[in-house]
Amino acid sequence: MAPTPAAAATVSSRGDTSPAPPGGSQPVAGGWQLAASSALTRLLRQRELGIALVAIILFVLFSLLSHGTFDSVQNWAAIGSATAELGIVTVGVSLLMVSGEFDLSVGANFAFAALVMALMIHDGYPPLEALGADIGIGIGVGLLNGLVTVMLDIPSFITTLGTFFLWSGVTLLVTGGQTVTILNPPGVLTALGGSVSGQIRAEIFWWLGAGLVIGLLLHRTVTGNWLFAVGGKRFAARETGVPVVRTRVIAFVICGVLAAFAGAVQLGHLDSMSASFGSTYQLEAIAASVVGGCALTGGRGSILGAMIGTVVLQMLDNGLILSGVSPYWYESVVGVIVIAAVALHVRIGRLTRGAEQ
Amino acid sequence: MTGGSSTEGVAGAALVQPSPWFEARRVGKRFGSVVALEEVDVAFRPGEIVALIGDNGSGKSTFVKIASGVYQPDGGTLLIEGREARLRSAKDARQAGIETVHQDLGLVDSMSIARNFFLGAELRRGPFLDLTRMERETRKMLVEIGLGNLRAVGQEVSRLSGGERQAISIGRAVAFQKRMLILDEPTSALSIKETETVFEFIRMAKVRGLAVLCVMHNLVQVRDIADRFVVFWHGRKVADVANTGQSEKELAEYILEGKLSELGIERSSLDTGTLRALMQE
Repeated sequence: MAPTPAAAATVSSRGDTSPAPPGGSQPVAGGWQLAASSALTRLLRQRELGIALVAIILFVLFSLLSHGTFDSVQNWAAIGSATAELGIVTVGVSLLMVSGEFDLSVGANFAFAALVMALMIHDGYPPLEALGADIGIGIGVGLLNGLVTVMLDIPSFITTLGTFFLWSGVTLLVTGGQTVTILNPPGVLTALGGSVSGQIRAEIFWWLGAGLVIGLLLHRTVTGNWLFAVGGKRFAARETGVPVVRTRVIAFVICGVLAAFAGAVQLGHLDSMSASFGSTYQLEAIAASVVGGCALTGGRGSILGAMIGTVVLQMLDNGLILSGVSPYWYESVVGVIVIAAVALHVRIGRLTRGAEQ
Repeated sequence: MTGGSSTEGVAGAALVQPSPWFEARRVGKRFGSVVALEEVDVAFRPGEIVALIGDNGSGKSTFVKIASGVYQPDGGTLLIEGREARLRSAKDARQAGIETVHQDLGLVDSMSIARNFFLGAELRRGPFLDLTRMERETRKMLVEIGLGNLRAVGQEVSRLSGGERQAISIGRAVAFQKRMLILDEPTSALSIKETETVFEFIRMAKVRGLAVLCVMHNLVQVRDIADRFVVFWHGRKVADVANTGQSEKELAEYILEGKLSELGIERSSLDTGTLRALMQE
């Protein structure tokens, strides 16, 4: 669930607006839990906890193994830059997963939208118009995914598997497989992915900004509440008057826009774009979301968790190299981490929610 | 919540009955050639608990779906406060003041009690959810319905027992000042103790002046909660009587009489053996 404020967990007398002081008014009655273990459960219920622990352990481990290169400022600037594009994609994917759906087309959307943008800039269109086209493609791809899924009533896994191939094919057709490079990058591209100060690049701030906006949207707005409801139990959401179809389509559109925007940021970083960029992002974004606490079945998850999840994947990639381990281990380790993380979430869930019903 | 029984003269035995809040007149529904409901008249008064009983296929759930806006009747009229009402959707019915607690309760397990309480009717402050106020209001309502000291509003609904979920659903209808509460088999999945708790909540809704329609097939339990029994048989109403302490057997006989009249059999012509066999069915 949302990173709920402490106010949520205390029973207090009516009328107060602030979190009730512990020990104020009635204690939690019924003897179902001791106060101490209640505090522990509350902590464990934060979905970010497990992944934050993993991140800390990896940080300590790699810092020790890399003899001081891993925990340097320069290295973290590099990790931040490398995290940003996948991070922006993951923010959208995790929101969509909370609503109970998947998007396997984010990688293709990422490359297609950014390539159109690159070609437009290359051909002399105003850069802002090119960015608008990129975002427009994101909206269109997301809308198509959403409408096809809702109207044909098929699993989004299948819809987006189809559109993944569709847009990958279109991208190859348009570019003939060539890399498009922009020789004199305009200001828009610098603002998206250029250097802000030394090794710190703009894309980190776009990632943090996207996380903040989407995090607020998901955890603090009515639309977000509906996304959780639709993903948690669609039928119940419909019964209580939630506009289920609209909410589901909105989730696909948000995911599509963020994937396309991440492509634009990538273009800003590299000043070039190829059809093969981002081709593994769909799986990495799902892995990062799951590691960060998103339930595959929908209804549970957090943007902050997914963001830490992305950092963990990037720490692995970077830390293995700096520790002198072959980088070819990266994917295998990610696989193990994904399984371990889900096993951990299931255990913590049982512990804090009682037996699964 | 204080003593279960109401001090108002709302039971069927009362001399002065309030006028019905919701009424179905000669309501019918067919599905192709199958008649699910045939010219049914039922009235629901504020502060009265009507138990709808009958076998599977008797038209109970068709009636519930018509009253909650899911199906449209193809004959007859629905009246709310004496005026003709068209309930084109579940949303229409809810806006008119009819809250239906379905068997799956309309609660999202993975969300907190407070978020569930306000689902579809969220409180806002600017563009954001007013979570503080939602939690405060939910807490207040939980205290009012007697669950305030038992549960924290930030807990996931998945932690609640079946009885507590029913209580939350019923509490939601009361809190949002609905006028009629429809419960579809509210106790079918509950233990005896939990059933009694849920009955307390249904009585609370009654005391608050809601018209209550309770669909049940447990003829033992229904005697504890109903003010009036409405009995359906094959889409027709075959009995509509006040609860005067009828036994379970007498209730079964209402159902049986519907069956006999349909078969065109005089009850007196049957020997006890056949009667018992029919009642066993």
